[in-house]
Amino acid sequence: MNDPDRRTKMMQLAAGTVFLAIVVVVALIVVNGSSSDSAGEPTPEDAGEVAQALRGIPQNGMVLGDPSAPVELAEFGDLQCPVCKGYAEEVLPGIIENQVKNGEVKIDFRNFTIIGPQSLPAGAAALAAGEQGRGWNFVELFYKNQGAENSGYADEAFLKSIAKAAGVKNMAKWNQDRAKLTSKVEETTKEAQQLGFNGTPSFALKGPGAKELEPIGTPSSTGALEEAIEGAG
Amino acid sequence: MSYPSEDNLRRWIAFVAALGVGVATYIAIVESGGGSPVCLAGGTGCATVAKSSYSHVAGVNIAIFGVIGYLLLLASAFFANDAARFGGFLVSLGGFGYSVFLTYIEIFKIEAICQWCVASAVLMTVIFLLNATRLIAYGGNELQEAR
Repeated sequence: MNDPDRRTKMMQLAAGTVFLAIVVVVALIVVNGSSSDSAGEPTPEDAGEVAQALRGIPQNGMVLGDPSAPVELAEFGDLQCPVCKGYAEEVLPGIIENQVKNGEVKIDFRNFTIIGPQSLPAGAAALAAGEQGRGWNFVELFYKNQGAENSGYADEAFLKSIAKAAGVKNMAKWNQDRAKLTSKVEETTKEAQQLGFNGTPSFALKGPGAKELEPIGTPSSTGALEEAIEGAG
Repeated sequence: MSYPSEDNLRRWIAFVAALGVGVATYIAIVESGGGSPVCLAGGTGCATVAKSSYSHVAGVNIAIFGVIGYLLLLASAFFANDAARFGGFLVSLGGFGYSVFLTYIEIFKIEAICQWCVASAVLMTVIFLLNATRLIAYGGNELQEAR
């Protein structure tokens, strides 16, 4: 039996949902299309802010924090990854300000290159800055000036401008080091895969006395990450 | 205008949804192992797409949502009532809309094409057209037996 009213209502509802779907898809495309495709140039203000946030915290290679901190937090990230940028700006500052500064945890940034071909040289450039105690300044400044994924912005000129702004003193050494450190980036990428990670950023913890890193995935907030660190300690 | 019988439409929906379950399950299984789908003609498009940040929503691989969507569409083909017709239409509309968005992202943002994603987008488009036809032709016939 056919019910004309019921049918009319159903068609109206279907038309409404089609309209809504079109609006949502167009909005998604507009929002993603308007996100900046071009990377920024690091400004002295950026460099100053980063230096201020990291002031007084020891940096050894890519490890931020007291080398004798009981807990090690390994962050597996890709410098081109927008989620890592968001994490660096919203979640990690709380950890750095408290648990890193008070010597509870040290954070080791390890490259997990998954976004595109420029992630590898970018990761090596960060490690080379780390050889001069500026690894975290490099990472933070890279994120601050990050462009759209795989848009080609992370070229030689960009990496050099980040290194200079990060405070790398010996650019010739930085240049030599990053060529050597490419293999290190590949190693940590394999390590991340062996830990079962398939996205960035992903985290792993090593508590006092532990021999192996324990994968913890991607805690959703500063609080969740704090709890995980406390649990490991 | 004459439409295919609802029975035929349901058979086609079930067939295409089953193919979709296969494609999405393949992508989900490969990626859960830390790998990426193998492009049939070689190339690295699938790896680039699979490892981009767009491949996950709230930390969940979108292939998992694909598997769930195709299973719902498959289920909708087994019932000849308005809930199944409208439910199938809604799920396929969502899947089709998201496929349009992901195809845009592949072409203009990631600048890499994954054949498996394209295959899924084509299947979702076909299934959306089948469900739209089913709803237009047979929606509102709650008490009518499937023809």
